[in-house]
Amino acid sequence: MNGTMTMMDDAQIVELPTVLDLNAAAPLRDRLLARRGTPLALDASRVERIGGQCLQVLLAARNAWQRDGAGFSIDRPSDGFLNALRQMGFAGDLTPATETTR
Amino acid sequence: MDMNEIREIFFQECEEQLAELETGLLALNDGDTDPETVNAVFRAVHSIKGGAGAFALDDLVAFAHVFETTLDKVRSGQLEPTHDVLKVMLKSADVLADLTNAARHGDQIDQDRSASLVADLEALARGEGVSSGEKPAEAEPEFTPVPVMLEEPQSADFAPVPFSFDDFDDEDTAAAASGFVVTFRPRAELYGKGNDAYLLLRDVAKLGAAKIACDSTDLPDLAQMDPEGAYLSWTIEVTGLADEAPIQRVFEFAEWDCDLTIVPSGDVSAVQPAEEIVLMAPIETPAPVKAPAPKFTPAKPTASVDDSGMVPVPFDLSAFDNLTVADTIAPQPVAAPVAATPAAPAPVAPVISIAEAAAKRGADPDAADRRQGGDRRAAETVAPTIRVDLDRVDRLINLVGELVINQAMLAQSVNESAAGTSAINMGLEELQQLTREIQDSVMAIRAQPVKPVFQRMSRIVREIADMTGKNVRLVTEGENTEVDKTVIDKLAEPLTHMIRNAVDHGLETPEKRLAAGKPEEGTLRLAAKHRSGRIVIEIADDGAGINRERVRKKAIENGLISADANLSDEEIDNLIFHAGFSTADKISDISGRGVGMDVVKRSIQQLGGRISIVSRPGEGSVFTMSLPLTLAVLDGMVVSVANQTLVVPLTAIVETLQPEASKIHRFGAEQRLISIRDTFCPLVDVGRVLSFRREQADPVQSVAVLVETEGGGQRALMVDAIQGQRQVVIKSLEANYDHVPGIAAATILGDGRVALILDVDAVVAGSRGDQARPELSLAAVG
Repeated sequence: MNGTMTMMDDAQIVELPTVLDLNAAAPLRDRLLARRGTPLALDASRVERIGGQCLQVLLAARNAWQRDGAGFSIDRPSDGFLNALRQMGFAGDLTPATETTR
Repeated sequence: MDMNEIREIFFQECEEQLAELETGLLALNDGDTDPETVNAVFRAVHSIKGGAGAFALDDLVAFAHVFETTLDKVRSGQLEPTHDVLKVMLKSADVLADLTNAARHGDQIDQDRSASLVADLEALARGEGVSSGEKPAEAEPEFTPVPVMLEEPQSADFAPVPFSFDDFDDEDTAAAASGFVVTFRPRAELYGKGNDAYLLLRDVAKLGAAKIACDSTDLPDLAQMDPEGAYLSWTIEVTGLADEAPIQRVFEFAEWDCDLTIVPSGDVSAVQPAEEIVLMAPIETPAPVKAPAPKFTPAKPTASVDDSGMVPVPFDLSAFDNLTVADTIAPQPVAAPVAATPAAPAPVAPVISIAEAAAKRGADPDAADRRQGGDRRAAETVAPTIRVDLDRVDRLINLVGELVINQAMLAQSVNESAAGTSAINMGLEELQQLTREIQDSVMAIRAQPVKPVFQRMSRIVREIADMTGKNVRLVTEGENTEVDKTVIDKLAEPLTHMIRNAVDHGLETPEKRLAAGKPEEGTLRLAAKHRSGRIVIEIADDGAGINRERVRKKAIENGLISADANLSDEEIDNLIFHAGFSTADKISDISGRGVGMDVVKRSIQQLGGRISIVSRPGEGSVFTMSLPLTLAVLDGMVVSVANQTLVVPLTAIVETLQPEASKIHRFGAEQRLISIRDTFCPLVDVGRVLSFRREQADPVQSVAVLVETEGGGQRALMVDAIQGQRQVVIKSLEANYDHVPGIAAATILGDGRVALILDVDAVVAGSRGDQARPELSLAAVG
């Protein structure tokens, strides 16, 4: 599981910042809310760190886009992004991934 | 910061928690039904327990644990907070305070009382009543504190298993376990303090093979969510680990900001797998789940009961991340957040479909948001505070005092030199205004509400009421009235004696009250307010009032007044302030403890205060104390004596007068009296007493300053002239020079000269040795 999803042609690409910590949560939510209703592709290639609160925002966004029936993807996830999500019980595409870690 | 400082901060935090605890319990006792009040009480005990655990204060931890378990019964609605239940809890709060003090100062505590309350608390937790009165100590089980850990279920409404200290099974369950299941639900505060769920999960995963499952059931809609709230929880199954201590260490600094359980893998019944959690009813309808049998571990306790919907006040450990458990505790206080009120627990946990759960959440999409994010927002409304060493504040106050003096000196120099242009004078006025504002602001830093002192009194009322068999209700008003810390520190003692006196002598027994047509429960009102730049404290009881006939009889017996003295009601009431005066039929161990109201009056006077009584027979009495707001400045009368400038504290002065020759009478070899209205008052030659001159002053050439002294007597101080009245900055003689008999302190006047502040009582004592009868009625001298 590498978490890479197919890039949608008509999706708005939102590049995620390098650090997704507490301070990044509110701006991230606002950026995503502003794009509600349109297909969304999140570029996670530059992410070095992501914490629990930005994960919450991404999960809530995924749920919202799914309810809206709009496209939602996370593209080119960095190793840091993938590792952090795995530690928090998710795969790179935000699906639950109860994995054994070491 | 060394360990002693950290430990001291912890105990300071404990004081605040104990105050919160008592406030909450008293509110519940007064009929407060707000669930948040119960939460606040629970939080206080929980926080003390957790902090004490970090210092291995086992006695404190063990008692707090039993207390907390019983409180949780109240919190979950399984125990009704009746008057009797709260009586036990208030006593338990007292014992918790004693245990805290014992841990802090190494004092001994009454083990029997502690054991008796443990038994009562456990009985309450089991749903049994408690026996009234004290139990014999030997009938109680041995109270041996043992560090404990109770596992908790994932349920939002945890019903703790009744806990007993008897016969612990010492099996080593941890060693037998092949792993542990950790449930971890962070709160918004955890993120707010710079911690992150990711970091904790990562560190747990490093301990062994770990399966991590996230529960996002509580996640609200993106538009509704608080991006800085906390909605996710995790279940981590760690295998290949025989001891849970490493897991506890990972969460050591986060324990206050999350709900955490750690159970051996064998006890999976205690934990719902993540997939099943999704099927549970959402947290809005929490339900009790059968708790597993308690497991005991030698490690320090973890959160033993579920804290959903509430946030323990943290002892913030975040600054000590690089230290081990044994070396850490709160470096700084954190304002207590106000937890959101949890919904009432439902008796049964309905298992519903995902669709239903989603529909339920949809009906109230931001319920979780309110629950989780609300904590953080509430915390933000609390003004941030810092702790400052009192010495630093005192230094600042002293410097401001210097500034005030220098400003006065500068103004006086300019006036005397006649060099003051209008611009200079305007500048000086602005400087004076600014100096006053700085002084007020600095004094405000050291000002504190009287609440802590008032709270101490409620314990005293409880104890004296118990000893005397009286029912007493203490009502406090104006607890947030602020006064300088130096005054607060000295307020507790006189207040304690007055409260004791009011309960012991003022209020009647329940039988007498009923016979008098009064409610069985007596009321004691303790009120504080600001009035005319001073703080006024009233202690009012609805008791029998002062028995004037008896007071008068005692005063005649003691030779305080002559048998035919004609005294007003007020004068009779004030006789109780005379030394050694007591109307008690037998010596009581309660109100005075060998201390009479004369000592109370003296200590209040030493603070620059006054005390007065208003009493109505059958209706009660009101004692009113009026105190200065600070001991850093003083209102005084500046007088001259033998070319020296002295300051007489204004609070001691009754009046000033110019003696006439016809009013002066000789008495004995040295004494002279002045007749003022219908009494003789001894004259005190201040110049001689202080050795400013040898010869006696001529009273007719002097000014008599009539002062009230210890024991309520009056003396006329002879001074050469009165210069005026002003506020002066108090400077300690002892700190800067040495003790001088007859002198209380010193000050620096505007011209730079040092003026001594008179210790009125000491000067009076020095003038006469020790006279038994300070006042003589005209009848007595014929």
